[in-house]
Amino acid sequence: MIGKIIGTRMIDTIEKLREEISRHAIDSQEALEEFRLRFLSKKQGEITALLKKIPTVAKEARREVGQQINELKRLAEERLEQARKQIHEGSGALAEIDLTLPGRPHPSGSIHPLTRTRYDIQRVFERMGFVVEEGPEIEDEWHNFTALNFPPDHPARDMQDTLFVEPSENGDDGVLLRTHTSPVQIRVMEQQKPPIRVIVPGRVYRNEALSFKSYCLFHQVEGLVVAEGITFGDLKHDLHVFAKAIFHEDVRMRFRPSFFPFTEPSAEVDIWWEDETLEGGGRWLEILGSGMVDPNVLEAVGIDSEKYTGYAFGMGIERIALIRYNIPDIRLFYENDFRFLDQF
Amino acid sequence: MKISYNWLQDYVDVGIAVGELAEKLTMAGLEVESVDQIGAVPGGVVVGHVLEVTKHPDADRLTVCSVDVGDEEPLQIVCGAPNVAVGQKVPVALVGSSLELPSRDAPDQRTLVKIRRAKIRGTKSEGMICAEDELGLSDDHSGIMVLEEDAIVGTPFSDYLASVGRRSDAVLDIAITPNRPDAASHLGVARDVAALTDSTLHTPEVDVPADGGDAADHVTISIEDDELCRRYVGVVVRGVTIGDSPDWLKERLTVVGLRPRNNVVDVTNYVMYECGQPLHAFDLEQIAGPSIIVRPTKEPGKFVTLDDEERELPAGTLMICDADREGAIAGVMGGQNSEVSEKTKDVLIESAYFSPASIRRTAKALGLQTDASYRFERGVDTEIQAWAAMRAAFLMQEVAGGKVVDGIVDEHPNPSKQRALDLRLARIQAITGMEVAREEVVGLLTQIGFEVVDDKSDVIRFRVPPHRPDVEREIDLIEEVARLYGYDRIEEPKTTPVPSFTPRDRPEDLARQRILGLAAGWGYREVYTNSLLPEGRASEYCDSSILGDLGGGAPVRTANAISREMTTLRPSLLPGALSVIRHNLNHGQDGVRVIEFGHVFTKQDLPDNIIPGYEEHESLLIACAGSSGQRHWGVTDRSLDFFDLKGTVAAILNALEIHGVEETEYPEAAGVAAYRLEYATGGTVLGFAAMLDPERASAEGIDTPVYFAELNWSRLLRTTAIGSNSDYVPVNRFPTVERDLAFVVDEATRVGHMQDTIRQEGKPLLTDVRVFDVYEGKGVGASRKSVAFALRFSANRTLTDADVDEQVAKIVKSVARVHTAELRD
Repeated sequence: MIGKIIGTRMIDTIEKLREEISRHAIDSQEALEEFRLRFLSKKQGEITALLKKIPTVAKEARREVGQQINELKRLAEERLEQARKQIHEGSGALAEIDLTLPGRPHPSGSIHPLTRTRYDIQRVFERMGFVVEEGPEIEDEWHNFTALNFPPDHPARDMQDTLFVEPSENGDDGVLLRTHTSPVQIRVMEQQKPPIRVIVPGRVYRNEALSFKSYCLFHQVEGLVVAEGITFGDLKHDLHVFAKAIFHEDVRMRFRPSFFPFTEPSAEVDIWWEDETLEGGGRWLEILGSGMVDPNVLEAVGIDSEKYTGYAFGMGIERIALIRYNIPDIRLFYENDFRFLDQF
Repeated sequence: MKISYNWLQDYVDVGIAVGELAEKLTMAGLEVESVDQIGAVPGGVVVGHVLEVTKHPDADRLTVCSVDVGDEEPLQIVCGAPNVAVGQKVPVALVGSSLELPSRDAPDQRTLVKIRRAKIRGTKSEGMICAEDELGLSDDHSGIMVLEEDAIVGTPFSDYLASVGRRSDAVLDIAITPNRPDAASHLGVARDVAALTDSTLHTPEVDVPADGGDAADHVTISIEDDELCRRYVGVVVRGVTIGDSPDWLKERLTVVGLRPRNNVVDVTNYVMYECGQPLHAFDLEQIAGPSIIVRPTKEPGKFVTLDDEERELPAGTLMICDADREGAIAGVMGGQNSEVSEKTKDVLIESAYFSPASIRRTAKALGLQTDASYRFERGVDTEIQAWAAMRAAFLMQEVAGGKVVDGIVDEHPNPSKQRALDLRLARIQAITGMEVAREEVVGLLTQIGFEVVDDKSDVIRFRVPPHRPDVEREIDLIEEVARLYGYDRIEEPKTTPVPSFTPRDRPEDLARQRILGLAAGWGYREVYTNSLLPEGRASEYCDSSILGDLGGGAPVRTANAISREMTTLRPSLLPGALSVIRHNLNHGQDGVRVIEFGHVFTKQDLPDNIIPGYEEHESLLIACAGSSGQRHWGVTDRSLDFFDLKGTVAAILNALEIHGVEETEYPEAAGVAAYRLEYATGGTVLGFAAMLDPERASAEGIDTPVYFAELNWSRLLRTTAIGSNSDYVPVNRFPTVERDLAFVVDEATRVGHMQDTIRQEGKPLLTDVRVFDVYEGKGVGASRKSVAFALRFSANRTLTDADVDEQVAKIVKSVARVHTAELRD
């Protein structure tokens, strides 16, 4: 009981001191020294005196009191340090801070140029009402070729162009690494009725030797629109909007008749790339393939090709990135040298 | 496919320059990849007459020539060619002219050189006597070009070339798409040119006799499989004299990239490049019978083709045989035993229609693509065989002498059906968006050989010409209309319809972009690595210790690898990241942090597989090695360690709003990990954080510790709350109370478990607990450590000391009991 009372009185004293420490004005070198002597001096400081009294406190309260005094001591020390700083800086010591020293650095990270380009492309189409879909990289022949109107003996089905996967124990033959993102067109149409307006980003594979312009894999963004009344004019319009967004507002583009098994009529799309050093001031660069969805493709997934029409396109993300950043060698994307990555 | 501009003029009056022609063809679907100017002789080259040749005084291989070029004084020219001789007429590049000279090491590379007055080994030289390659006429550098004797001295060399029929030319290299088999010939391209320039196509007139006549007495033809060979035409030319072709023919072939052989073979090639029908010339005397039998082989066999190669033939290869033996691989290549030789007198010309699929199979099986197989595979004109055979026969008679035998043997058991297709005008508009006038539709299609057979108001029926076997459906007709009409003329609509949809960010993209943005801020670099690995490497990392429950499968191998370096699909992103780490540590980086998103694969049957037998999911890998930052004032540099990585994983899970993830510690080495921590939620493994086994690291060429975490991104996406909105939690406005607790425990005690106990026992007032110090050494005793926790308490009221004391006491008691801990004063 007595101990408890002493403990309480101690706490009152502590509380009083805490207030004084906080309020004590320290505005000069002298006041600084006065403060230190009054509260913190090892010989005569009031906090030191309190610490010496701890053994007189009742056992049960001793811990609590001890903690509080320590707290008080920390407060006093902080106050002293803070005041010391203020006084020094206020008296022209500012010059001691060298503001030209470099700031503490953050580590530098980066997002891969192919990711940046992918999302740049994706954002444009999402704003135009396209929905994003993805699909597997291991595919079957039905989705990669057959449903896309590739005839059974089409050269693209050759081992020369396509990487096949060793059959699994009870799996089927004709499992392959998708050669384009177009099989996702089929997967979407198998599950969804028109109107369809999707884009499909993803990794694709080709059985090609490595060189500055080809790698055994690359990335595509595929687009598919199927609805009533879709025409080649809509295809031209939407891709033109895309090219303006990705390259520049006045981009010149041309649609060149071409051939793909899954679109008809088909077009390759070029943009005009200005280059003063070339005869004619520039050249046409192919950026993507496109066309009206072949009726056979729609019929393969049970969509009435008389009622619905559609367009599809596919572009290489690497190709767009090579053009935009003027990168000469596709292998740089996969080398991942930090001095390269740091530029994006 | 190389197309000569001059050659085209034989069939159509092109009327536009080659540049414009290339542009028009490209925009009509025949993409001109390049235009090569040939034989365009530079100015300043004239015909000279060699008057004198003397040895160079100081060089064995050089001569000093006196050459008359029509000026008052002859020129003195030093020449290095072995064949220069007095009396020759030669091309002379005068001082001041410029030639594109081929490099001696790389003849394809040419540099522009200006001819100057010079001293060569001390002797004056005023010009240059030229070889063909120096004038860009051919690759011939065997000696100077010797001109016809009657060449007129001093005239421009280009005039001379024109006078001998060697005009300059331009060669268009056209990329032919599979739907345009007709364009693999000059007549085919000319047909498009005529349509595009609104001019008339002139097909050479050839007198084609009816089946039979004298020819039937010279050879019999029988076809055993009329699916594989629908038609076989034979024509005989007797009494030819084998020799070189005339210059005009050699030039035509050279220009399109063919090597002239002899007059008979050259004619067959010429006609193939003219009309697209491959022909073969047999030496009739070598044909037993003489009879031709077209039949597929029944068993695999061997055959020596005319390039002297022995070829392995699979069963079912279509062969051209005589009464005794096989003489040619149909549609691919002739045989050595029946080829035309210097002694040949009588020639049998073959002109056939073979099934495209059969030829494609054979060419593929033999790994042999020829000009003939290329055209048969794509489908030649179904009606042109007799025309082509007679065209060749008459040309042979003209260039090789001899006489075309009257008549023709035309075995045609299975004629191709003539196709007619309906074209709805409304459908053209539905596909293209343009209303094309009916007259224009009819005009465009008839110009390329289609014929109107029935014309109703809204539907026109067209007969498909035999050179367009690819046109089978209405959509094919629409494509023809669209390409000839011009894609450029198809207008973009002012508005375009967008189906009703809900604009929504996909959680997949939100999550990936959020993590990438954060990781880049934390100093991670996103990388893209190859999905294909060497098999051994894929196996090494197909490891349950880092793949968890998905580690049971085998790596997925490709059946036809590009190289041994790329045979197998990656089961993990780790090997790719290790290559990146090694590369960058070896290229000046002190510390490396990488992140990659990518698909990984194993062979195993799981219910969620999209393709049965193959497990595929998206993985997220982060890895770090080396130093935490660069040397810099005010920063303490240190080595990155496991807890840097673990902190990143925690921050990623937090950013994905995935809470309550269970961690299981595996301190022992297993697989590629020296130690590892498993992350799971509700019994589903999310992934691992680990230190790479140091021996493995050094096997990878990395001599610093590597820490990595591979998480199953597909599973994280199923767990994340990103994209869904949850109610906010009101901010607690009451003061918080902080307490520090330090415990001394056995050094083996798991701090994470202590923290769990504190959290458990701190309920309901404890809001936060963190470990702020771990100390071993002086003052805590041997084999013991001190662990200090900072605790924060709050409630929906002002807490009293008593409230907090009570909670703290409960915590201390439990920690002491569960972890044999002593509270440190």
